[in-house]
Amino acid sequence: MLSEKLAAPAQSGKPKSEYEYHIQKYYPRAALKMHLRDGYLSLIVSVALWIVALAFLVVAFWRANRRLDEKRVPLMATLTAMFFAVQMVNYPIIGGTTAHLLGGPVLAITLGPFAALIAMTILLTIQLPLGDGGILSFGANVFNMGIVGTFIPFAIFAAVWKLAPSRSGMIAGGFLGGFLGDLCAAITAGLELGFSSTFPYGPVIALLAMALNHSVIGVVEGVATVMILLALLRMRPDLLPVQPEARFAAHELPAPTKEVA
Amino acid sequence: MDKESKLVIVGLIAAVVFVVVGVVALGFANETLDVIARLFGMPDWEVWFPPLPDCGIPGLGQNVIATLFLGVGFTVLVLVVTFAVMRLVTRRRKPSAEGPSKMP
Repeated sequence: MLSEKLAAPAQSGKPKSEYEYHIQKYYPRAALKMHLRDGYLSLIVSVALWIVALAFLVVAFWRANRRLDEKRVPLMATLTAMFFAVQMVNYPIIGGTTAHLLGGPVLAITLGPFAALIAMTILLTIQLPLGDGGILSFGANVFNMGIVGTFIPFAIFAAVWKLAPSRSGMIAGGFLGGFLGDLCAAITAGLELGFSSTFPYGPVIALLAMALNHSVIGVVEGVATVMILLALLRMRPDLLPVQPEARFAAHELPAPTKEVA
Repeated sequence: MDKESKLVIVGLIAAVVFVVVGVVALGFANETLDVIARLFGMPDWEVWFPPLPDCGIPGLGQNVIATLFLGVGFTVLVLVVTFAVMRLVTRRRKPSAEGPSKMP
């Protein structure tokens, strides 16, 4: 049974490659995170996701160049560094597995999804020398954590905020954005695995397996997102794009009237 | 001290706390994705061999001090790189006098 297999304790994993043997022998803290590693996805899926990620990044940099307020750069750098550190904290969930916060929802809600995508891409790039992710799977990781993990939370938060532009709307939107953003990122990772020829059981099994644990992770991400938003609302409300008392008081500059070369 | 510097310092302090907690107390990672990969016998080959696997220095084994230094160092690196990249991206534009508009 899949559920029994997933509930099995962590020791079920044996090192298969020389690399993994080396890691488990000399680095027992284990570097394996949510990031997809090279070899998990088939080449065609990896290449397709690289192309999609690059296309989104081009648009993101173009948007950031035209519309991101320079005053938000310190916030962006600080949050990106903070979530790099947060991703080092692995908390136990079910069946001997662990999880860590992604940070995409907070980045997306405070900075907008395009800036959040850039932030997540920088974060994922700097994680590469530390063994998180891989070169072939980099596009997939950017797609899952940088695109799905930021655009979905932002869309959900914006929709909830439109319905209820209040403190409770911010809490509900933040929680739902964090929860569903993580869940959707896990589901897309499951689908990518399922559609890869390397995974022998098909997309439904991969999707269910990923969604089960990540629904728990999503709750934690949702709660963390709300806590950070409330902390910002209390200490630096000017940094929030939306404020309960001033609807849609964004800090993003409009497009310039004249381009500067 | 201006508000932005204060924000960066508070954020960095929080980040260092997370690094310490991550390295000292909650470092072990056994993620769903990797459990699934092992359970279903997925191939495990690499085209990228990271120079500092598991945030550690090869040859030193499980050295907490080295991991702490690398964790803090890379956190600062993320801050600096993000700052530099975004400064480059945003400075090629004149600030608008119209002020804030709507949601990002």
